[in-house]
Amino acid sequence: MKSSKSSVRIWRITGITSIVATIVLIGGFIYAISDVLNPVGSTYTSDATASGAKPATTVATDGSFQIAVLGDSLAKGTGDDDGSGFARRTVDLLQKNGKEAKLIANLGINGQKTASVLSSLEEPGVQHVLKQSNMIFVSIGANDLFNAGEALGNTQQAPSKQQLLANLPKASKTLQQILERIAQINPDAHILYLGLYNPFSDLPEIRVPGNEAVTAWNTTALNIINSQSNMSLIPTFDLFQQNLNKYLSSDHFHPNGTGYEQIAERVVQSIE
Amino acid sequence: MNSIWPLVQNETIKIIKKKRFYVVLLVLLVLVPMFTYAQMRQAQENRTKFGEDWRVELQQAITDNQNSLGSDRVPEEWKKYRRVFVQQMQYYLENDVNPNEPGGVTFTREFLDNSSSLFIPLLIMTIASDLVSAERTGGTIKMLLTRPIRRWKVLLSKLITLTMFVSLIVVSTFIISYVISGAAFGYSGFNIPVFTGFQPGDTGTDMSSVHAIAQWQFILMQMGLIWFVGLTVGLLAFMVSVLVRSTAASIVIMMAALIAGTILTNMAASWSTAKYLFMVNLGLTNYLSGSPAPIEGMTLPFSLGVLAVWALASVIVSFAVFTKRDVLN
Repeated sequence: MKSSKSSVRIWRITGITSIVATIVLIGGFIYAISDVLNPVGSTYTSDATASGAKPATTVATDGSFQIAVLGDSLAKGTGDDDGSGFARRTVDLLQKNGKEAKLIANLGINGQKTASVLSSLEEPGVQHVLKQSNMIFVSIGANDLFNAGEALGNTQQAPSKQQLLANLPKASKTLQQILERIAQINPDAHILYLGLYNPFSDLPEIRVPGNEAVTAWNTTALNIINSQSNMSLIPTFDLFQQNLNKYLSSDHFHPNGTGYEQIAERVVQSIE
Repeated sequence: MNSIWPLVQNETIKIIKKKRFYVVLLVLLVLVPMFTYAQMRQAQENRTKFGEDWRVELQQAITDNQNSLGSDRVPEEWKKYRRVFVQQMQYYLENDVNPNEPGGVTFTREFLDNSSSLFIPLLIMTIASDLVSAERTGGTIKMLLTRPIRRWKVLLSKLITLTMFVSLIVVSTFIISYVISGAAFGYSGFNIPVFTGFQPGDTGTDMSSVHAIAQWQFILMQMGLIWFVGLTVGLLAFMVSVLVRSTAASIVIMMAALIAGTILTNMAASWSTAKYLFMVNLGLTNYLSGSPAPIEGMTLPFSLGVLAVWALASVIVSFAVFTKRDVLN
């Protein structure tokens, strides 16, 4: 076969490169199969150079607000028309007032109860976020108490105060553990606990037991918080008591944008 | 003329001189900078939101996914992926390893992951779909076959050449992606640890066999698997190009099959026999990263088996048809 000089060169270069490439790729192929089929589990030991040593906790001490939020759907901002929630609205209000404020992270998860918040506090990512903040908002308990509104829907009769309070002793104990654990993780942070309101205060058959249950919860929470120096409770009960139509979203459980704005204003009043 | 190598040489030179391979390189050289730029913009946006702190960013991503797990509006299928994502990311946080350490190598790893089931197979089709049908369209097939060489040898030489170029395309994709993204993100990162060995199951991911490997090892494994995918698609495209007379038609057929595959993997979970289709099994790299298989019962050996059967069948069909068929026009 006659070949010109350039053809010979093309053949040599492509031929050799492709043979080398094929051998390497077949090697990778075999390696991949053996690694997927016979994986040898081993615990990873960091050599520290790989992803950089963990940064020292650098919480700003210049009076700026580094805010983290933890808890249930109220912490997340469910029901808010634009999804901000009271935490983002608090940050916006603080900034409007000329303060420096930053929302580090919003760790609110819909439907969360006290028990799962407590276990999440042992996750390194959650701990890291808490350590980066100097102001930690906690909203938890409503799902323990109202079972995410199921107390209203599932039973034919209106739940009694006893039914609503059934979870109180255990849940309030978990709440105490949560707040103490947070204070332990970040002793320098100010912890704000969002008190509960009664979302059913406009339903005659549940108004009184609901009010009593929420008040009992808030009192228990206040007792826990009063014994700590770096915690406060932001009351919301009175805000919503006569204003459910104005402040509740269409699901009749979560606040709407206006409701969250009201909460945010309270928070700002208490921390500024 | 006993040796097959002069024929392979001839085919290789034809592909280079007809500039088929340059087209592949050109496509890569145009598209990779676009992906790099998009990634850069995304990284900048995240930095304004979360600062330099990847741990906070990752924890927020975990929380966002946990939120969608509780929602009734999210389909069960997506929840499966997100549950696995949450578990994997928590594993990274527990070990204090950044899964998205910025750098050209990380970009290349993600690019290879995303391009294994559609983009790279398409590039390979540029060459595979053209190998036989172009001879027919150009009329050169008669000259090729009137020479005193057995027909199967002609075809075999084309198959060997195809394999060579599949390897070249996979390696070029890696090199171009690394060189271009490295200019934007930096060239380091071959030794960053990557976790592999996650076993997604019904009740959650089994972590017992998780182990860390260096990123270059991970990429080597990815490329090996992509090479196998590329070879299978190449052989199929080759068969189609033997069966169909025009290059355009053979490309359309293969493209339709590949695109159908990406659609099916997103919605075929309830149609379990779809797992025997080759195009559903192209995401081999998912078995490395530990994301759940699109259809129940798919494992790496299963997918490899399906692909191997399809590849073998297309080789047999190609030879049977090519050695028997009359060449008329």
